[in-house]
Amino acid sequence: MISSKFVTAVTFLYLFSTVLYFSYLSFRSKKLGNFAFISTWVALALHTVAILSRWIESYRLGFGHAPLSNMYESLVFFSWCITFIYLLWEVKLKTRIVGAFAMPFAFLTVAYAALSPGVSDRIDPLIPALQSNWLHAHVITCFLSYASFAISCGVSVMYLVKAWREKSGQPEGTMLSLFPSLESLDTLIYKTIAVGFPLLTIGIITGSAWANYAWGAYWSWDPKETWSLITWFVYAVFLHARFTREWRGKRTAILSLIGFGAVVFTYFGVNYVLSGLHSYA
Amino acid sequence: MSSKPEKGLISSLWEALSSLHLTIGLLIALAVASIFGTVIPQNAAPEEYFRVYKITTYKILHILGFLDMYRSWWFVLLLALLCLNLIACTISRFRLTLRLLSRSRKRLEDPDWNSLSPKKSLSLKGLPAAWISSIQAGLAGSFRTPKNLDEGGTVHFFAEKGKLSRFGVYFVHLGVLVILGGALIGFFYGFRGHINLVEGETATRLTLRNGGQIPLPGFDLKLEQFTVSFYSTGSPKEFKSVVTLREGGQNIRSESIRVNHPLSHKGLSFYQSTYGVAGVEKAVLAIQEKNSGKEHLLEAKMGVKTELPGSHYAFVLTRFIPDIQGLGPALQVMSLDPTRPHENFFVLQNHPEMEDRRAGSYRFKIREIVPKYYSGLQVNKDPGVPLVWTGCVFMIVGFYLTFFLSHRRLWVRLSTQGKDTLLEIGGSSHRNRIAFEQEFERMFQGLREELLRPGKHSKEREEQI
Repeated sequence: MISSKFVTAVTFLYLFSTVLYFSYLSFRSKKLGNFAFISTWVALALHTVAILSRWIESYRLGFGHAPLSNMYESLVFFSWCITFIYLLWEVKLKTRIVGAFAMPFAFLTVAYAALSPGVSDRIDPLIPALQSNWLHAHVITCFLSYASFAISCGVSVMYLVKAWREKSGQPEGTMLSLFPSLESLDTLIYKTIAVGFPLLTIGIITGSAWANYAWGAYWSWDPKETWSLITWFVYAVFLHARFTREWRGKRTAILSLIGFGAVVFTYFGVNYVLSGLHSYA
Repeated sequence: MSSKPEKGLISSLWEALSSLHLTIGLLIALAVASIFGTVIPQNAAPEEYFRVYKITTYKILHILGFLDMYRSWWFVLLLALLCLNLIACTISRFRLTLRLLSRSRKRLEDPDWNSLSPKKSLSLKGLPAAWISSIQAGLAGSFRTPKNLDEGGTVHFFAEKGKLSRFGVYFVHLGVLVILGGALIGFFYGFRGHINLVEGETATRLTLRNGGQIPLPGFDLKLEQFTVSFYSTGSPKEFKSVVTLREGGQNIRSESIRVNHPLSHKGLSFYQSTYGVAGVEKAVLAIQEKNSGKEHLLEAKMGVKTELPGSHYAFVLTRFIPDIQGLGPALQVMSLDPTRPHENFFVLQNHPEMEDRRAGSYRFKIREIVPKYYSGLQVNKDPGVPLVWTGCVFMIVGFYLTFFLSHRRLWVRLSTQGKDTLLEIGGSSHRNRIAFEQEFERMFQGLREELLRPGKHSKEREEQI
C-alpha cells in the first residue's frame, strides 16, 4: 500500500526534523532552526497526504472509512496531531526551541506505527460497534488533547532541566541560553494544558455519548473509560493546584509529567495490560 | 450553653469544606482509587478471584469493597465529599466574584493608575471636553462605547468586556454536579435488563440483571427477523433485529434495531447486544432415488412431515445437531416409508459420502441449513441521561468561558494641563495578559491615529482658540 510507504517516509522526515531541532539547540544557529521548521512543515504535509491516501485506499477496498479505527491508524493520527499542534504553538510563540522537546513525541509515535511488528497496517472494515459518526468526534478530540498534553510534557521537561541547572549554580549552559524564562515555560505548560483539558473533556463526553448508543450505557467503568477519567483527575489537580501559590513551578511541572504518564497508560497500557470493551485502539 | 465554640467549629468545618486543598486531596484520592478499580477485576465471579488471590486476600478486598469498588460506601463518600466541596467553594467564592464585578471601580485615582499595566499616555491640544466624543468613537471598535464619568476638569472613561469569563468556573462545577445528579437519578429510577427472543416470538417481559422479571410497560415486542451479514474478510458487518411493537394486539411500530441504532419506546431503550442460533428453521435437501438416479430438490421445515412429490415416501426432520462428534452439522431424519418400518438416521452436511453406506432407497444430501436465530436485546431505562447531557453542555460552555475568554477592563483619564489635555489610558485582564497587551497596543495605536488625524481636529482646535 502506498499510504504505508508514505508513513515510513514521514517517520524518517520526523527523525530528520528532530535531529535538526536538537542541532539548533546545540549550535544555536538561526538557520538550523528555520531549516527544522520548514522540514517539519514538509513532513506534516506528507503526513496529511499519507492519511488521505489511506482513506482513499479503504474506499478502493470496498469498505471506505476514515483512517481512525485501529491502533495503527490512531498512532499515525496521534503523531499528526502532535506535529500540527506543535507547529501552531511555534508560529504563535515565535520560538523554535520547544521543537526539540515536542518533535521526539511525534517521531516516536509514528515510528512505532511504521516499524513495530505488533501493529498491523492492514485496512480492516468497520465492525458494527465502530460504525458511528461519534467515532470521528471522539477520536479527533481525544488525540488533539493527547497531543496538547504531549507538548506540555515536553515543556515540563524543559522547565525541570532549566530549574535544575539554575539551582545547581552552573553557568548558563550553551543549550540553556535559548530556553525561555522559567516563568514563560510555566505559563506555556499551563496554556497547553488549558487547551488539552477541555478537549479531553469533550473526548470523554463524545465517548460517553457513543457508548450510550452502542453499549447502552454512557459510563460503565470500563478500564479505558476509567483511565481517561484518572487522566482527567490528574489534570484537574494540576489546574486547581496552580491556584494555590505553593504549587507553582516545579511541582506543577511534575504534575504535568504524571498527567502525560496517565495519557500514555490510557492509550497503550490499558490495551496491553488490562482488558475491556474498548479493544480497538 | 455557650454558642461561641460551636460557631467556631462550624466555621472551621466550613473553611475545611470550601478549601482548595480538600479539592486537590479528593481528586488525588479518586484517581488512586480508580487505579485500583482497573487493576482489581470488578464484580467477577468468586472462582475468578480465587485464581488470582489467596482466600484471605479475597476476604480483605471483599470487606473493603474493592471488588465492587465504584459502588462501595467509601467511593460514593469521596464523590459526595467532592460535591459538598464544590458547593461550598461556589457559595464562598460566588459572592466575591459578584462583588468584584459590581464594585469594579470606574474611576481610578493615582495609586491605582500607577499600578495599572499596560498603560500609555498622550498629549492632546485643547481642553478635555473637546475630545470626549472622538475618544469614545476611537475605542468603540474594541470595547463597547466607554462610559463617560465627567467631573470637574477631569474626564474619566470606563469600559469592560468578557465579564462572563469570571463565571466560567461556576458553569464547569455546576456541570459536574448536574452530571452526578443525573447519575444518581439513573441509579435510583433506572434499570438494566435483557430480552432474548427467537425469531417469531413475542416478549411481554424483560429479565433484570438480578434475574427478576418485569413486564414491558403497556406494549409487547415481537422479533420478526434477525439477520447477520459479513464482509468478504469474514468480520461482521451488521447485526439487525427487525421488531414490531404492539399495544393491545395492535401493531404500532415496525423498526429495526442495529448496533449503534437503538430503539426507544416509552422510556425504554432496546440495544442490539448478542445473537445466536436457536435451532433450524428449515433445510434445503437434495434427495436422490437410488434406483432411478432421479434427484428431487426440496425445502423441509423442521418437525413437519414432508412428502416426496410423485411418491408415497415422506420424512420428518426431527433434530438439528450443530456438531456431531467433530464432523460438523447434522440433521436427524425419520423416514416414513409405507413399505418399510420407520427408521431414524443422521445426515451429515459436510460428509455426504456417509449416505452411500446407508441402506434404503433414498440418498439425502444437505444443500443448506437455514438457521433460526435468537436475538439478545439489552433493555435500559435511564431517566437521568438528559440531565447528564445537560451537565456536559454546562461544562463545555464553562470551559469556553474560562479558558478562551478573559475579563478585560479599560480606564481612560483626561486631565487638564494648562490649555492642553493629558490622555492616560490603562487596562487590565484577569487572564492571558500577553495577548491582552498586544490587543491593548493595537487599540492604542488605532486611537492615536484617530485622534491625531490632522484634518479632523485642526478645526476643533481653531474653534477653541
